[in-house]
Amino acid sequence: MNEKELAPHIEDINRALKEKVSSEQIEEELQKFRDEYRISLGDAKRAIVKKFGGDPQDLFLNPEKKINEIRGDERSLDIKARIIAIQDKEIELDGQPKTIFYGIFGDDTGTIPFTLWESKSVDIEKGDTVHVKNAYANTWNDQPQVNIGSMAGIGILDDDEVPPFERDPQVCDIKDIREGMRNLMVTGRILTMEKKVVQTDSGEKDLFSGVLADESGKIQFSAWHDFQLEPEQVIKLVGGYVRSWRGIPQLNFDENSEVEIIDDQELPSADTLQDSSTMTISHLARRGGAVDAIVDAVVIDIKTGSGLIFRCPECNRVVQKGACRIHGKVDGEADLRVKGILDDGTGALTMIMTRELTENILGYDLDKAKELARDRMDQDVIKDELEELLIAQPLRVRGNVTSDEYGLMLVASDVKFKKIDVEEEARKLLDEVSV
Amino acid sequence: MSMMKREVAWRIFADELNNSTLETRGEDERAPTYIVSPLGAKVNRVYAVGVLTEVDNRGTPEEPLWQGRVSDPTGTFFISAGRYQPEAATSLSNIDPPKFVAVVGKTSTYRPDDETVLISIRAELVKEVNDEQRDLWILEAAKSLKTRLEAMAEASRMEDVSVQELIDLGYDPTLADGIKAASEHYQTYPLDRYWSIMKDALRYVLPEYEEPTVMDTADEGLDEELMERVLEVVQELEEETEEVGVSYEQVRDIVVEREDITMTEFEELVSKLRLHGKLMEPALGQIQSAY
Repeated sequence: MNEKELAPHIEDINRALKEKVSSEQIEEELQKFRDEYRISLGDAKRAIVKKFGGDPQDLFLNPEKKINEIRGDERSLDIKARIIAIQDKEIELDGQPKTIFYGIFGDDTGTIPFTLWESKSVDIEKGDTVHVKNAYANTWNDQPQVNIGSMAGIGILDDDEVPPFERDPQVCDIKDIREGMRNLMVTGRILTMEKKVVQTDSGEKDLFSGVLADESGKIQFSAWHDFQLEPEQVIKLVGGYVRSWRGIPQLNFDENSEVEIIDDQELPSADTLQDSSTMTISHLARRGGAVDAIVDAVVIDIKTGSGLIFRCPECNRVVQKGACRIHGKVDGEADLRVKGILDDGTGALTMIMTRELTENILGYDLDKAKELARDRMDQDVIKDELEELLIAQPLRVRGNVTSDEYGLMLVASDVKFKKIDVEEEARKLLDEVSV
Repeated sequence: MSMMKREVAWRIFADELNNSTLETRGEDERAPTYIVSPLGAKVNRVYAVGVLTEVDNRGTPEEPLWQGRVSDPTGTFFISAGRYQPEAATSLSNIDPPKFVAVVGKTSTYRPDDETVLISIRAELVKEVNDEQRDLWILEAAKSLKTRLEAMAEASRMEDVSVQELIDLGYDPTLADGIKAASEHYQTYPLDRYWSIMKDALRYVLPEYEEPTVMDTADEGLDEELMERVLEVVQELEEETEEVGVSYEQVRDIVVEREDITMTEFEELVSKLRLHGKLMEPALGQIQSAY
């Protein structure tokens, strides 16, 4: 084994011995155990630590990692970082309500999303500098993230233990904004905005939230400080950070950010921005989701559970064969919906159309649908008709897109049949490629 | 934890799909297999719209296996649906060709010998559509082909094809992957051929389009003679094996060797013979002389 290969092991031993012994001495010992006595590396390391009065268990201490070194497959991980954002979330685990926290860690190398699964013994807040031990990392949408489970520990550090992140703000089109980004520079027009009062750890706070757009796309924002914002304004924001909810990136900024209201005639009006910016499904997948996205695609499958369905009056779940999964035999309430696969040739997503949109497509209402199903004594006639109407038809679909482990889901707020002048487009394309 | 992603349905012309000879599989055990086309489309699922020209039950009445041929302006998709695709099988059995159909399905390959890969589509969905939907699909397939042609052209200019460089140029990561795999496997960049296929397909949807007639090519006399040669080989082999229907590859290899023509020229001869009703393809990869 050469010096370079031994180096990480010497480091391990050093750490276990708390640097009481010089690296040269350790190296010498290690060479002796290896070359003279042919002891395996693991045994040699144990023996050396013991010999110098250390605890071999300490060999398993994790090397500390900087955020940009985290790959997303670490089973055990120590980091020192600053909490850039943190928020609690109610989830249901094995039928029990549970509070978890999620947010963003930052150090001098970058940022990373984290989830804190055990909240009881920890009292941390935004701005704290922490030392997390024995966390683990995984990836979500190809992005690494840190998980702090029951085996992990968190300690509060002095602020100066983690150097600040200093880099020029990153200029970013709205469509390219991803979870975990920070120190962004974004220019966009405010489409909608409302003021809310929210409860935080430090009491009541005003929150200004809405939708910001540029020509590339739209994004939800939350301003934690009163910047005197109003709809239609064009703002230039420096120092925003991003977190996601179910894959939808949300832009956050606060008193540490700079917001400048600018006079930008170039950027189209709010109405125009509202209706532009179609996105490919591949782009949505890489981004993880989007608010009020517009997708041009074709329905290539209508799933079971579409058409005329019955819902449990207790929990709203779809009833199968007269029985709810949770509440057993119930008298289901009729509803209409579409659960279909939308595919644009770049990617696929699950699209949900609620009752009103489904009625629009069918051209009749729920009562008529019930009547038709009764006449034919077949609940599936409505699904069959939806297949006939929707499959292989070009659609322009609009709605919020979220993601989970099954992929992307779009809950449609609007569905239109798209008229395409094939002849004109074919001529245009031919002209383009004949040059 | 990576996402359980639904595979995208590629809009790909029959010619490009059928000329694919590379199959890849992800490292994960459950990872799907892909067919990588000569232009780097990494295909697991296909969405095709064309004319259903034939349907046959190649199974038994109890356990049917429906096979069909769907034509687009560039060639033929071979589709099938059996017991594991009940909905598509029912649709296929109920359609009386010729009809415009939309097909969604997964690609499947069959290798009769080391060099040949025959590609068919196990249909998940078959739906009757109209000519407008067909034209729209041709437009989509042409756009998709154009993107691959442009990406391939970029790759052909790189000393070492780099996935990251392609992504930086704005191409989808999946396509960038496919382009790299294709450039390594096929070792050629068939750009001219596919540019002309794309343009021909687009012209097909224009009202002034006229079907090129089978007989109006200048070297028709030569073709006539070659077509006769192909038929002779088929009949020779049929007599030799005493079977109706012989291997497409076997015929191809003999004719290509004897007459010193290219595989593409051979394919054209066979399709002309089929148009003239002198040859039939009773099953994927088989040809038979029509007595």
